[in-house]
Amino acid sequence: MSALFAFRAPLSRRATVIIALSTSLVTLVLWEASVRFGLVNATFLPPPSIVLATLWQMVVGGHLLWQAGVSSLRVWVAFLLATIMAVPLGIMMSSFRPIGAALEPIVDFIRYLPVPALVPLSIIWFGVGEETKIFLLWLGTFFQLVLLVSDDMRRVPQEYVEIAYTLGASPLKMLQDVAFQAMLPSLFDHLRVTLGWCWTYLIIAEIVAADSGLGFVIWAARRYMETPKVMAGVVTIGLIGLVTDQVLRQLHRRLFRYL
Amino acid sequence: MVIFDQVTKHFGGLPVVDPPFDLTIRDGEFVVFLGPSGCGKSTLMRMVAGLETPSTGGIFIDGERIAKPGRDRGMVFQSYSSFPWLTVAQNVAFGMKYRDDLSGPQKQERLRHYLALVGLSDFADMFPNRVSGGMRQRIAIARTLAAGSGILLMDEPFGALDAQRREGLQVQLRRIQQAEAKTVIFVTHDVDEAAFLADRVIVFSNRPARALADVNVAALFGAERSLALRDESDFFALRTDLLHRVRAAAEELH
Repeated sequence: MSALFAFRAPLSRRATVIIALSTSLVTLVLWEASVRFGLVNATFLPPPSIVLATLWQMVVGGHLLWQAGVSSLRVWVAFLLATIMAVPLGIMMSSFRPIGAALEPIVDFIRYLPVPALVPLSIIWFGVGEETKIFLLWLGTFFQLVLLVSDDMRRVPQEYVEIAYTLGASPLKMLQDVAFQAMLPSLFDHLRVTLGWCWTYLIIAEIVAADSGLGFVIWAARRYMETPKVMAGVVTIGLIGLVTDQVLRQLHRRLFRYL
Repeated sequence: MVIFDQVTKHFGGLPVVDPPFDLTIRDGEFVVFLGPSGCGKSTLMRMVAGLETPSTGGIFIDGERIAKPGRDRGMVFQSYSSFPWLTVAQNVAFGMKYRDDLSGPQKQERLRHYLALVGLSDFADMFPNRVSGGMRQRIAIARTLAAGSGILLMDEPFGALDAQRREGLQVQLRRIQQAEAKTVIFVTHDVDEAAFLADRVIVFSNRPARALADVNVAALFGAERSLALRDESDFFALRTDLLHRVRAAAEELH
């Protein structure tokens, strides 16, 4: 026991999995039991068995998968839009200091504006259609991502840049063949984290103004106090996040074997 | 021929190289810049690479003033000396990436030649994180050779290696430099390394860098250097002499 809890002691893969699964299971059992024994009111906190059953019903009988698809599509469109714009801009901001000096104050200002505070403005500008949702997601991620990308580029060792130059690379070739390659692993990680934020903002956008998507499902169920449906919606988002993150981590491992 | 003509360098008003520095390096000469850490000797070398510009004066190669980096001058750094996302062979081949004068088969042939020359043929398909620190430095050397650089600029390239690896690499570097007839400017604060490698050792003062001595090592030991040289009394004598000069330089007050 003391060996397991030595400071920074290594933990085998097997043990990691066993411990992770046990805590999750124990939590679920405690949750289920506390409702069954009447410690909490099932109307407010339905047990996991009911949540799972509801989730299954919504998949089979309802439109849960379709709603999840709609939400995912919104997330990916906004995420790709933010990425396409933030990556070149972030690279330019750290590569060419005048561009950085010009844009950093603006980016820093907008970055700290809470997205919910901009919902009214967004509705005034774009109405309650798809544009508003995409805009809110983009707003929440683009300005954060620009600074992260800019940092990734700044951290590329100067030695790599100078090696490229002494081998006859033009500035453009150096950026493309060396600096961009060098920043890719950390850029990938930052994109993964940003994708997670998109889901946070999506639910805000869908609760405020939507007639489809997981946020809408959750909000509609709340009106009729259908707590199991609310929780099933939340669990769906959690599952999508978990799966996406694991897939991207695996992809990272495959793409950057050299690390 | 590399000529430093009245070169000074100031960073934001602070002198790094001053008074003006003069030096002539012949083709095929192995010159070591020896001095205390942070004295400005690296800055002088970086100016040859075209990565810094002199504040006054100029550096000339075969009569032409250096204005920017070029393939004729290859750099070997102490750390981050190879690209981690490329294999050993791809790293060496990167030296020829921007050489449009070579055909594909010619590049292949050169790649094979230089991988063999530095003893990395068996590690060609490995990534740098799988090979030793000494091998990573050999990758960098082979890359500059493949690029066709006539002048090798080496900034404490063996500084992070253990003593045995360093000795081995020094012998290998000297052999390659002789075989390929390269001009080398090698920056170090290691007296032993300077004595073993150099045709000429330039001893520098504390910052701002000033040349204190120009020691002709080639006249003492000739061109061939083997590990046995380290056991000779002449080598000890030279080492002690250089050590005293560097110590005096390091303790010098401004």
